[in-house]
Amino acid sequence: MTSPGPAIEWQTALGNAKLCLPPSHVIRDLLSTGVCVRCIFRLSGIHDRDCYISPINESELISFLEEQNEIECNSTTITNCCVCLGVLCPSCVVPEKSGADLRERSSVNELALLISDMVKGEQYQIDEFSLEVSLPPVITANERALRLYLKQKYEKEQWFKDTFLRVHISVKDTLKLVLNASLENYLAVQNVETLSSSFRIRLTYSHSETSQKLQSMLPNGHDSKKREKGSRENGSSKNCNEPDASAYRVLELIEDQNFCSQFQVPPGKVDKPCQLVVACCRTPTYIGGRYLKYSRNVSQSRWIIDDERMGETSVEEIIGENVRQICQGDGYKFHSAGREDIDVRMLGSGRPFLVEVSNSRIVPSSTEIEQISDKINHTDKQLVGVKNLKLVGAEAWDLMREGEAEKQKQYAALVWISRPLNVDDVCNLTSLKDMEISQKTPIRVLHRRSPLERSKVIHWMKIEKVEGTTQYFLLHLCTQAGTYIKEFVHGDLGRTHPSIGSILGCRAEILQLDVTDVKMDYFD
Amino acid sequence: MAENAERSEETLYKPSPKSIEREKQAMEEEPKEDLSSLLLPNLNDLPQNPPTAVEFNFSRYFLPDFTKPGHDQYIYRHANGLCVIGLAQAHVALKEEGGVTAVDFNVGKSDRSELKVTGKRKRNAQHFESNSALCKVCTNDNFYIVRCCVKGSLLEVNDRLIKQPGLLNSSADREGYVAIIMPKQGDWLKIKDSLLSYEDYVKLRGLL
Repeated sequence: MTSPGPAIEWQTALGNAKLCLPPSHVIRDLLSTGVCVRCIFRLSGIHDRDCYISPINESELISFLEEQNEIECNSTTITNCCVCLGVLCPSCVVPEKSGADLRERSSVNELALLISDMVKGEQYQIDEFSLEVSLPPVITANERALRLYLKQKYEKEQWFKDTFLRVHISVKDTLKLVLNASLENYLAVQNVETLSSSFRIRLTYSHSETSQKLQSMLPNGHDSKKREKGSRENGSSKNCNEPDASAYRVLELIEDQNFCSQFQVPPGKVDKPCQLVVACCRTPTYIGGRYLKYSRNVSQSRWIIDDERMGETSVEEIIGENVRQICQGDGYKFHSAGREDIDVRMLGSGRPFLVEVSNSRIVPSSTEIEQISDKINHTDKQLVGVKNLKLVGAEAWDLMREGEAEKQKQYAALVWISRPLNVDDVCNLTSLKDMEISQKTPIRVLHRRSPLERSKVIHWMKIEKVEGTTQYFLLHLCTQAGTYIKEFVHGDLGRTHPSIGSILGCRAEILQLDVTDVKMDYFD
Repeated sequence: MAENAERSEETLYKPSPKSIEREKQAMEEEPKEDLSSLLLPNLNDLPQNPPTAVEFNFSRYFLPDFTKPGHDQYIYRHANGLCVIGLAQAHVALKEEGGVTAVDFNVGKSDRSELKVTGKRKRNAQHFESNSALCKVCTNDNFYIVRCCVKGSLLEVNDRLIKQPGLLNSSADREGYVAIIMPKQGDWLKIKDSLLSYEDYVKLRGLL
């Protein structure tokens, strides 16, 4: 599939590359040291992709450079390069299901196929992808060792320019150069160079043999604990992060002389190639909207005490689970702009919320979004509803949190007072605008909150009489975010003042509470 | 209702199944914009005298003659474990001519109104025994010591009583509470069975 076409093509590319390469006696030296062809190319600064794709082997290279017509047949192919440890050969050991070792010389295609099979197997639907490569730090050490070796040996020669550091292409970049086109073909989507794609394919290479040697060689006394942790799971990049980072740091600081005394120069041959773990993952998908809660027996988030669930279910589970299912994700997190008690309904405009789905296999289109909406809104028991559901970006989280303290909320409370309501009461309450109240932390939450006195604002109040009663009325009020409404009505034993009771000069109780509006600009 | 149930958060009066059904119908028939129909209660669900916030959210317990005859106190225990301490209806101080005239928190070794408890963990709260003094309640001729009743950390005293001692005369069972204490689960269980329920206390003192 990515066969380079007629042999003539790579000959041209190679011809151009010859200018960058060192003389053939050096090449022979490098090959016999165990450096693979691709490493030789990249260390010499060759950028032409054709050179890397061409399935040229060591003897072919030598014949080409020395302009011979016959190819020596006795050289063995380098599969475990002493510098890149097989990453570019490419050869690697992939642990798990397939079980098969890849040891083919030029099977970039096989590697690409392995990766694309995994992506397809998980049933990811993707538009593009980014490739992330993680390599063991020992490769950096190998490169340095090789450079110092060349310098030591060939410094005096005419051709030597010591431009190594300036021109060389990293193993990562070379691997991407070689692999991306094949992957693009197999996956039928574009590669995105920087990590801006939401779909990441991570290739983690590790080489326990040389990495352990490196750790013990360099002065990393205090890292011995980390080393043990890191060597337990060789494929996992997370556990290797710490020893890796410290290894890079030490390598940076160590001087050439010291380095040469500790590390083998040129780098030694290795028996086995790297172990490769392929993982793919999508960055979180965000679905936002507004929810309504019609039930007085549904908590906002999953609430379980001593193995017993409080309430029938939760808003979080109803919405989160439906979203997760349709997005085919691994899990979900539910965030909302504030919350209400289990026995308080959320009506009217609804409350803004965000569901974060991890590793979703598909990115939902408007059809799927509608599906989610329908599923939630048309269950038998209408406990929860959603509005304005849509796909949003990661910035939605910050938008939701922004200026939380300024947000105003509107409520309707069913209030009872200890004497009949009169005209003066109504005038009294409705005339109060932007009234400041002081609330000590309510007793019902005092066990888990700091004992503070908080100042809040009641922006306005309206009274709606209840036909057939004199002591009940509906209190509509608009307050600052964070106001405890129940306590504002009954006074919380005098710890909230003023309260409805203190304003009207009688006892007031609250029977029901509903949130009727959460004023927020977006998610609308 | 709350006397027997243990709820962690304050919950409100629940409408009857009939009105839940009616609400559901209203939501199905009318567009969701018709908010007002959702908000209005069913008259049949509205009791003449609904339970008070205290009755609904706390379990009320009484200690008659605590350490001394006539020194009746109450403990309102919330489902979250916090205990509100105060003078019960038949406390001898409330029967005196002129009632309570002053309240002083400076008793024992410290002034209880000076304490500053901060943070979620309430670390610097003082620990008291059940018979530790909380405050001194003065009438025209006498004074009486109010005690903690349960061993625990003192979270708060009702310092409004300093400027408004009359709260004890008008509403000792509500705004006139004395203090809030946080006992450990074990310490609460030790005394629980020795306490009287509201009904039993009322019977004992022949009230209502």
